[in-house]
Amino acid sequence: MNRQAIDTSKLLGRLVWQNVRQRSRKSVRSLARAWSLSACLLAGMVSFPAIAQETVQDTAQDAPPEGISIPVPDSAVEGAAPIVSVTVNSSLDGIMPDQALTLREAIAITNGTLPLSALSPAESALVTPAASPAIGFSLTQSTDIELTEVLPPIMATGLTIDGTTQSGYGTLSSDAPAAVPVPVPAVALSPATEAEVFRGLTIAASDVTVRGLSIHGFSSVHRRTASTPPADIFITHVAPPQGNDEVHSGPDSPSARTLRLTSSEEDQAPNGVVIEDNWLGVPPTGIIPEPNEMSAFGVSVFNGTDVVVQRNRIGFHESSGIITGNLAKGLVVTENTLIGNGLAGLPPAIYMSGNIDGSEIFGNLMCANDGSGVAMFKPEGSARIFSNDIRFNGRRFRSAGISLMGSGHEVSDNYVAFQPGPGVGVVAYPKSQQNTVRGNFFRRLDGLSVDLNYNHNTRVSDYQFFDGPNPPRNSNQRRRDSANAAINAPEFDEYAFPVEGNTVTLTGRADPGSEVDIYSVSSKPNRHYGDLGSLLTTVSVSEDGAFSATVDASEVLPEAEARSLDSGIDSGNSALTKQTVVMGSEVAAIATDARYGTSEPSPTAAIGEEPDYTGTPDPYSPVCQDPPILVEPEEVVILPPDEPISLTIPRNIHFALDRSFISEESANIMDQIAAAMLDYPSLTVELQGHTDPRASDAYNAALGERRALAARDYLLQKGIAPERMRIRSFGETQLISTEPDIVDYARDRRVEFIFSDSRGLDIVFERQETDLQIE
Amino acid sequence: MLCRMNMRRQLRRTLRTSCLIALGVLLSLSINVLVGAPSIAQNAIIPNDASIQYDSPEGGVDGEPPERINQLSNSVIYRFQPDATAGENNQGLGIVKSANKSAAEPGDVVIYTLLISTSGADAPTLQVVDTLPVGVEYVPDSAVASIGENDLTSFTVSATNRVVTFNAFVPSLLQGQQLIIRYATTVSPDGVRGDGINTAVASDIEAGLGSVSDTFRLTIRPGILSDCGTILGRVFSDTNFDGHQQPGEPGIPNAVIFMDSGNRIITDPDGLFSMANVIAGNRVGALDISSLNGYTLAPNLFRVEDNSQSRLVHLEAGGLARMNFAVTPTFGEGE
Repeated sequence: MNRQAIDTSKLLGRLVWQNVRQRSRKSVRSLARAWSLSACLLAGMVSFPAIAQETVQDTAQDAPPEGISIPVPDSAVEGAAPIVSVTVNSSLDGIMPDQALTLREAIAITNGTLPLSALSPAESALVTPAASPAIGFSLTQSTDIELTEVLPPIMATGLTIDGTTQSGYGTLSSDAPAAVPVPVPAVALSPATEAEVFRGLTIAASDVTVRGLSIHGFSSVHRRTASTPPADIFITHVAPPQGNDEVHSGPDSPSARTLRLTSSEEDQAPNGVVIEDNWLGVPPTGIIPEPNEMSAFGVSVFNGTDVVVQRNRIGFHESSGIITGNLAKGLVVTENTLIGNGLAGLPPAIYMSGNIDGSEIFGNLMCANDGSGVAMFKPEGSARIFSNDIRFNGRRFRSAGISLMGSGHEVSDNYVAFQPGPGVGVVAYPKSQQNTVRGNFFRRLDGLSVDLNYNHNTRVSDYQFFDGPNPPRNSNQRRRDSANAAINAPEFDEYAFPVEGNTVTLTGRADPGSEVDIYSVSSKPNRHYGDLGSLLTTVSVSEDGAFSATVDASEVLPEAEARSLDSGIDSGNSALTKQTVVMGSEVAAIATDARYGTSEPSPTAAIGEEPDYTGTPDPYSPVCQDPPILVEPEEVVILPPDEPISLTIPRNIHFALDRSFISEESANIMDQIAAAMLDYPSLTVELQGHTDPRASDAYNAALGERRALAARDYLLQKGIAPERMRIRSFGETQLISTEPDIVDYARDRRVEFIFSDSRGLDIVFERQETDLQIE
Repeated sequence: MLCRMNMRRQLRRTLRTSCLIALGVLLSLSINVLVGAPSIAQNAIIPNDASIQYDSPEGGVDGEPPERINQLSNSVIYRFQPDATAGENNQGLGIVKSANKSAAEPGDVVIYTLLISTSGADAPTLQVVDTLPVGVEYVPDSAVASIGENDLTSFTVSATNRVVTFNAFVPSLLQGQQLIIRYATTVSPDGVRGDGINTAVASDIEAGLGSVSDTFRLTIRPGILSDCGTILGRVFSDTNFDGHQQPGEPGIPNAVIFMDSGNRIITDPDGLFSMANVIAGNRVGALDISSLNGYTLAPNLFRVEDNSQSRLVHLEAGGLARMNFAVTPTFGEGE
């Protein structure tokens, strides 16, 4: 058989298989069975067209009703879904026999709901038979496809929607940080102006590939309730209708039973969908959309198995960039760039709930998202999270870099840094055990590298930024009610270990049966605990609970280590299996027991002499991705302290009573702030929202957050990178007024800008009142 | 009682009903009761009869209308006793029910008294049935009975559910005597759910004494610990938008529900909440969306009523009501 024949027989096999089980799940076994069936068919049967017809009819009858009805001829249901390659050459939206094919028409053709006979001759010329269904693009005038309503769900198994076929695809944008650079898409998919379209592409078939598109702006307006989940790309077997309109269900609407896939119906979920090389939430221009033009979610794997999301640029979503719903077994998320997501909704970059068993998240860059890099909520099954670069997250919610729930998760070889919370957090309830966290490089955390919740701590703060260092296990009950079965953190025997020759021997105690990893400390936010940096060595704990580790010590920092500290590149996977520590530096230990999981880190111990704790932070660049290594090291030297640059920046703006929009005067002040931040890229800012003392605490906390958000939105639009801004709300807790009069109230209604600079800039904060708005 | 009032009104009532019977003829029915109150002497006899009119099924002869036939029924005699006391029937059997208090609270003991008299005939096989109100329970072995000043030698009491039956009185009640039965009851917290009305019925069928009844209304006040119900519910992430929690739809911890009373309830780590001792009546609970970290109200595709931030339930005293809130990951906050 030549390649073509193989493809055809594979296709044939798939069709037969689909006839047998209606929606095939492409597993090795099913494929094998389909192969044998197709072989029989090829050998003995000549009536393939009849079978194909029957197959398609089955599929059509079983087809989930579409959320939006599109005008299709009645005979469409009975037509066979043709296996064709369709070229879209019109950026308009609609179905009509004219001179050009729209994307809506192309999807309807491949679904079999728009028969080829209904096409005009000019349109028919754009449809050619193919080995597998495909939609390509050859747009001539505009490459922005603006949808007026939700596209029909993609029902064609094996369909490829390929934006790379459009001429003009392939230019790389060099300036944007990316895990892997994603070429600028030529074709953009977005809602038409004033149209509320809540989903971009809805995928209801297996083996669908979406490649090289920019999909942005898909969200819905909150009414009495929210809508069903909006998304740029929504993957499920039957898409729920929008649902927040007055009319909720019609005769065509799916039942609750249909919408819910039980564990025995997993084969109905789309399998093997691939989402690659897309820009999601980001228009081809690369600029941040206006707040009311942002997408809600990026990729929503609502019900889908073995979905692959790779090499996408996912940014500027109101909520998570990637979210799982009910079923996402075997999800693979790799080499994506997730920057600035969760700006007005669910804050994490990747949010995992439902059944996520066997999922893998690796090689992604997650930066400047409003919550965790990866957060889980009561998932079933376990996931592996490794080799990701997770930094500057938690911009709006103090949260862990990786927030784990459930058991058996593996977190390894990640770089987690600049997080206003712990590096990895594990909750106490639901019971979460056997979670291993090894070989990660943590830096500049506002919490422990690994924080296990203790003794059924289930408050809001425990789920968000965890409960801090645990005391040692005081009862066997802690095994039951604490994360990772309350495995004790190791303890060093000394505060400082002397260097003997070129080595230092570290001794301490830990739970018997566990392995202790010794890390050098990359940064030390407080007196006792440090962030785990490079892995130095791993030793076993003896039966009496003692461990002893010998590491090399030297006077100078190895070059690899120095670079990793400065640029933040993960050195954990470097060839140096046995790292070297420097005199005067510090180390920390962490225990892992396969039966229970990984412990919290130990308090630090010093090599040589105990250093003075000064708490001065090391300098860093507030950027999602460090400049390439070829940049001369001299360019990132710290400014000498004897030449301070003095800078005067306004530090507050004011708001009208019960309002959170930026007035014109405030906008002028914010322009000065934006200009200063653009001039000095090392400046970072914390935006603190405040209110006057009237109204309730809770209301004012929310109002303060809206004000801070409005200020951040303004700065984002001015081109300030999201990783340089954190927002907080203090509500009415920090008043500056003393008198209960309208002028002092006006002074209270403000956002304060708390600048900081790791390079030692001397900043003069200027309190100003030019934009005071008296009620 | 109703019967007597009607009679006093000198009622002449004719009920005419017309219908087609199988023969296809017109049929009318009239029931006539004639009572002349001023002329009624003691123990007056009131005849009561009915008549039907129908057209002859043979039809008329030579175009004449069909013959109309008026057929009288037999006459029923009703003995009228103008001096009958409360709860006395026309055979002279009387019952009066009273209690030692007119209002009670859960936990109180109420002593009921039944006064049974017969002026018509002896009642050797007298039976008294007393149906207690909801939440009022008979205290076993508390019943005593006496005729005049003499306690009865024996009688039987059976109490099943809320029905207390007294019979087999020894000695039996003779004409002109009065039987007094006293028994104790306790009011349980369920009492507030009932109407407090109970009806005692006395009869001696074998002696030809028809049943007679009297009711007593006990006002049941809520007391200090009743009048409350329990509200429970859950806040969960809905993935099929039907408002019900199914496997794989996890509960949301630390969500806040506000009650109309101002109470603030927080869900547990499984997303469940419950509140005991809620005052009965129409209760409203609202989900505080700002307490949901990253979630908001989910649409309900199947029940319009649940597309709301609040739930209205009618809570019975001692009852249970449910408030479930379905949520979904949020987006576009503050727009």
